Amino acid sequence: MGSSNHPSITKESARAILLIDFPHLQSAHCESGVAANLLSHKGIAFSEAMAFGVGGGLFFGYLPFIRINGLPLVTYRSAAGHILKRIGRIPGVGIYQKTFRDKGQAMAELDAALDQSIPVGLQTGVYWLPYFPKALRFHFNAHNLVVYGKDGDEYLISDPVFPGPVRCPAEDLIRARFASGALAPKGKMYYLTQVPDQLQRRPLIVDGITVVCKNMLDSHFPLIGVKGIQFMAGRLEKWPERLGRERADLHLGHVVRMQEEIGTGGGGFRFMYAAFLQESANELQDTPLAEAASMLTAAGDSWREFAVMAARICKNRTQPQDSYVAMAEQIRECGALEERFFRKLEQWLKQQS
Amino acid sequence: MELFEQELLELICKTCNLDDVEMDVIKADDPLIGPDSILGLDSLDALEIAVTIQQEYGVRMDSENTSRDVLQSLGTLAEYINQKN
Repeated sequence: MGSSNHPSITKESARAILLIDFPHLQSAHCESGVAANLLSHKGIAFSEAMAFGVGGGLFFGYLPFIRINGLPLVTYRSAAGHILKRIGRIPGVGIYQKTFRDKGQAMAELDAALDQSIPVGLQTGVYWLPYFPKALRFHFNAHNLVVYGKDGDEYLISDPVFPGPVRCPAEDLIRARFASGALAPKGKMYYLTQVPDQLQRRPLIVDGITVVCKNMLDSHFPLIGVKGIQFMAGRLEKWPERLGRERADLHLGHVVRMQEEIGTGGGGFRFMYAAFLQESANELQDTPLAEAASMLTAAGDSWREFAVMAARICKNRTQPQDSYVAMAEQIRECGALEERFFRKLEQWLKQQS
Repeated sequence: MELFEQELLELICKTCNLDDVEMDVIKADDPLIGPDSILGLDSLDALEIAVTIQQEYGVRMDSENTSRDVLQSLGTLAEYINQKN
């Protein structure tokens, strides 16, 4: 690595160590966690929930024509990259990003940025990251992390879903950066080039809520937003009849995993968004936003009730009230709760203009 | 094992339909969830346990990190509930 007089960099001649002082905070979801940590490193205190909300992260989509391991795509969050894109559009925030064809060039640019004490965000494929336990490695190519240093041939990484910093050999990081398949990262790297001296949070909060309300209430596609929730309920109800019990249970387990795992923070990101609304309510001294946060927490609890029933069915320990019909009803209730919640947020937005 | 940890173990076994568990060999710091779980519990079980704990003790685990940390062992679970109550 090149030399630098930056006080936060440590270098040893025997084994080149380069270490940028970077605040690692564990988060539930990688993209919002990386966004929050990069902003915090630049001196702007930003929680994961705030990054998720300002980034317009909440969503619902049931897209059976897109398959993941043969199972229909169900998503409770916006598309990969959406949050960082919106964070990059905050007035005064500059973000540099680049994809590569050449692996050598991609690693050289990473090293050059580290040399300048710049922590670098990377899009990677989880499967190739050796610090993930084997049981958790799967082919997901939109996992975000921050490289904040290098020790010999190992990179020092702040992976927000881990409790502390981790290390990754260069060879494995190259594989992860150039993983092939859906959402291939193509070596994508990014970092913040500038941030404003002061951040006006109100317009960011309003904009973030606007985009989520629009997606959840106004989509013309029946598979998206609150309509999509009702659509999935109808489909799920018929799975045993259409697919047979075994395949139906497989589909069900997949929906629950997408909702309760994969960094959602539980309740399909609903609890995380409720935390954003509560934080915003405190910041803006706004009681209706706090009420909206409670409404969404209730919706998250309702999603969890569905997930628990689904887990009992998948685990063959059903209770008398458990059935696909009952689960479909529970999802319809979630859809109804969310529609009321988003209508309330819509009213709140009208009062802001 | 403390009395409260014993109570939690019984609740978990009931929730997850675990009939043949030798309660006296389980230690408070044994891993609860995941590949090393002494009870063979996975993330779907963890979800049911989190919701049952909320119903029984009024303690919410609403962030993935919280439940991941809290459900490491019977000891961490007992400590979390005691802290919140």
